[in-house]
Amino acid sequence: MDFLLGLLGELVGNSFSLNSRAFFDVALPEDISTNGHLIDGLFNYTTVLNILFFVLVCIGIFGFSYLYSHKRSPKAYYTYGNKKSHLIVTGLIGAAVFLSIDLNITRFSNDDLLNTFWNFPKEEEKPLQIEVLAQQWMWNFRYAGKDGVFNTADDVMTNHDLRIPVGRKVEFRITSKDVIHSFYLPNTRLKVDAIPGRITRMWIETKKTGLFDVACAEMCGTHHYMMKAKMTVMAPEDFERWQNEAELLAINTNDKDNLDNYWGWKWENN
Amino acid sequence: MSWTHDIHPEPKSFLSKYIFSFDHKVIGKQFLWYGIAFLGIGGMMALLIRWTLAYPGVPFPVLGNLLFPNTNGVVPPDTYAMLFTLHGTIMIFYAITPILIGAFGNFCIPLMIGARDMAFPLLNLLSFHIAVLSGVILMASLFYPLGGAAGGWTSYPTLSTIIGSPGAGQTLWALAIFVLGVSSTMGAVNYITTVISFRAPGMGYFDMPLTVWGLWLTAILNAIFIPVLSAGVLLLIFDRVFGTHFFLAGAAATSGTGDPILFQHVFWIFGHPEVYILILPAWGMVSDFLSFFSRKPAFGYKATAMSMTAVTVLSTLVYGHHMFTTQMSPLLTQTFMTLTMTISIPSAIFFANWLGTIWKGSIRFTSPMLFSLGVVFVFGLGGLTGLYLGTVTTDLYLHDTYFVVGHFHYTMAASVLLGGFAATYFWFPKMFGRMMNEGLAKFHFWGTMLGLNGIFFGMLMVGYGGMHRRLYNPFVYEFMKDLVPLNTFITISALVMGVFQLIFVWNFIYSLLKGEKATQNPWEVGTLEWTLPSPPPHYNFAEIPTVKCGPHEYGNPALKTGRDFQYQTEELVVANSAN
Repeated sequence: MDFLLGLLGELVGNSFSLNSRAFFDVALPEDISTNGHLIDGLFNYTTVLNILFFVLVCIGIFGFSYLYSHKRSPKAYYTYGNKKSHLIVTGLIGAAVFLSIDLNITRFSNDDLLNTFWNFPKEEEKPLQIEVLAQQWMWNFRYAGKDGVFNTADDVMTNHDLRIPVGRKVEFRITSKDVIHSFYLPNTRLKVDAIPGRITRMWIETKKTGLFDVACAEMCGTHHYMMKAKMTVMAPEDFERWQNEAELLAINTNDKDNLDNYWGWKWENN
Repeated sequence: MSWTHDIHPEPKSFLSKYIFSFDHKVIGKQFLWYGIAFLGIGGMMALLIRWTLAYPGVPFPVLGNLLFPNTNGVVPPDTYAMLFTLHGTIMIFYAITPILIGAFGNFCIPLMIGARDMAFPLLNLLSFHIAVLSGVILMASLFYPLGGAAGGWTSYPTLSTIIGSPGAGQTLWALAIFVLGVSSTMGAVNYITTVISFRAPGMGYFDMPLTVWGLWLTAILNAIFIPVLSAGVLLLIFDRVFGTHFFLAGAAATSGTGDPILFQHVFWIFGHPEVYILILPAWGMVSDFLSFFSRKPAFGYKATAMSMTAVTVLSTLVYGHHMFTTQMSPLLTQTFMTLTMTISIPSAIFFANWLGTIWKGSIRFTSPMLFSLGVVFVFGLGGLTGLYLGTVTTDLYLHDTYFVVGHFHYTMAASVLLGGFAATYFWFPKMFGRMMNEGLAKFHFWGTMLGLNGIFFGMLMVGYGGMHRRLYNPFVYEFMKDLVPLNTFITISALVMGVFQLIFVWNFIYSLLKGEKATQNPWEVGTLEWTLPSPPPHYNFAEIPTVKCGPHEYGNPALKTGRDFQYQTEELVVANSAN
């Protein structure tokens, strides 16, 4: 009985407090990136048209059910639905869906993908380069260090601790040591898989400092849910200070002979 | 079409009548029991999963201590992974497939096309018993020392290889899927042949009920794509047992490298058509039921059949949208996105036809009709939410979140489940000779709709909030703290839906034993199975019927028989004046 009362309490107390929030703002993670609005915008565009079409479907289901119930409409209209007018209406509905939603979202998405998300920063834009190694159940990050070359003894390596400067492009190159993981930054709306034997890429630019979550989005074993890193977005001067300290520390403390430290690879510009 | 099919003799003993029967009607019922049993197991697993998500660390009520004595009734994380893996596997391969395809495919196809049995009765018998073997292997995998498969129903390597899952459970999972593939292929070959060669004289392809169309297209997809999955899991077994490196790469590969993405390609080449394998029978049935109970011919019958065929063809060309986050080349990504979008054209056409069918009808709100209207509603939501996932940029955010889970449950679970219930209520009288209770059936419908939409719409919402899949405890993440109440709401909806299924079980069992005796044609429907007594005799048709009109002849004003419908064996009545 206590259990049932508790359940009822939950139902009334918790679930319905959601009404105070806007319907589609259900705790959407804060967008801290310069490009996340493209994804949110496309989502909203699709939503508006989806609601329109779904309302039409509902009008059909509920309206016709009301108007043409056995009581109200004892005699059905005998038609195969193959008159010219019927075919035109059906064809128009198919065309309307395709032209208004499909073609547009395909075009928007295509443009955003090629012009933005997969348009990786050029060398002259001086993006911050970070190599990411996923493993069960840890995120390893590698910065090039003082010499600017990856996989050398002076590289800065962190676990579960990603630090990036605000307002500068950051490019990640990602791979995995063991199973497939997925590098997921909910606050920038992006994710890409970390795959053993392959290097995948992702770039972001942030516009807000603070602490944010890095998650693994692909099932990677029992402790998948714990594979969480924190991303600290820092003011440029703070980041530079941290970077200098970390680079010095790396030069002084990295074990040059430990082969495990050389999991990185040469960064190739293209 | 003339045939002199030498049918197997009527069985006399219990074994040959109920266990090793060649009769498609009995095999259909066997598949029905098999599917309902697994549906119950898979449903219980869903409740355990939902409980963990809403109340992490709280013991599962009543059964918890029995199932997980070591943790005082709390679901442990490794068990949680096995639960969602087996929930997916069981629901797709061991519940929906046997119920929609195994049970109703077997029962309906010969009866609806006027045949005495399937083309290959022995193959049919083997198909069921191999499915049982597969089910035993799957359940046995749970009792191995390191537990069952825990890599998700997709079982992506390298997690599903020795590095990620060393236990024998994963090998047995792959073996179970392979064995089940053999069973499904046998069924598929049988269905295709039966529909092509055993249609009653006079029945052209466009005189078949749309149910048969749906089942037939499903069988074609099964015959083509199940072997692809079988090849994939066989290679996985090789990697696990014989030390090959098809899917191993990186540090995991000791000599040479394979590619884990190869498995994803193979899996989704099968996996996307699989969605349509599951939904096509339900589409066909719903198309028929809407016409039957609106007392009106199916609107645009040929367009619906051709749209279903078009979806079947397109379904084979879009699988890449499951792999956008693996970063395929831009060309492949764009191609798969565009092809995916084209599916909405045929889908929109048969949606329009469904609504056209009930338009100006004379609707009888029987339980199969309510469930069919439910399918139109939930499939509308499921189809439209697919647009976000077929679009690559929104998919970069939504991929692997609960939005995906909500979407595919709307299309596969909700639509197929409601379609399956519609079919069960509709054909129960023909199968068992008794009626199910209509009042309870309607109560079951409304409860199921309430719970189901609470669950799956809730999932869409938490997914939009960024909650990703397969998390034992999502609330270790800062950005998901706000999603706790919504997760609780989803779980309560799941419990509500679970409770309402007990009404179905009660109704099913009670009606089986004590239900009102069914007449030959309780729904007043004109397809061939309703020209037979309920239940039909061993031979189905004493004399093979000749088909003279289409399957949806309702409300013809020229009819003078006192009925508002025609049997397919009757000459189409045409009015004197052109209409």
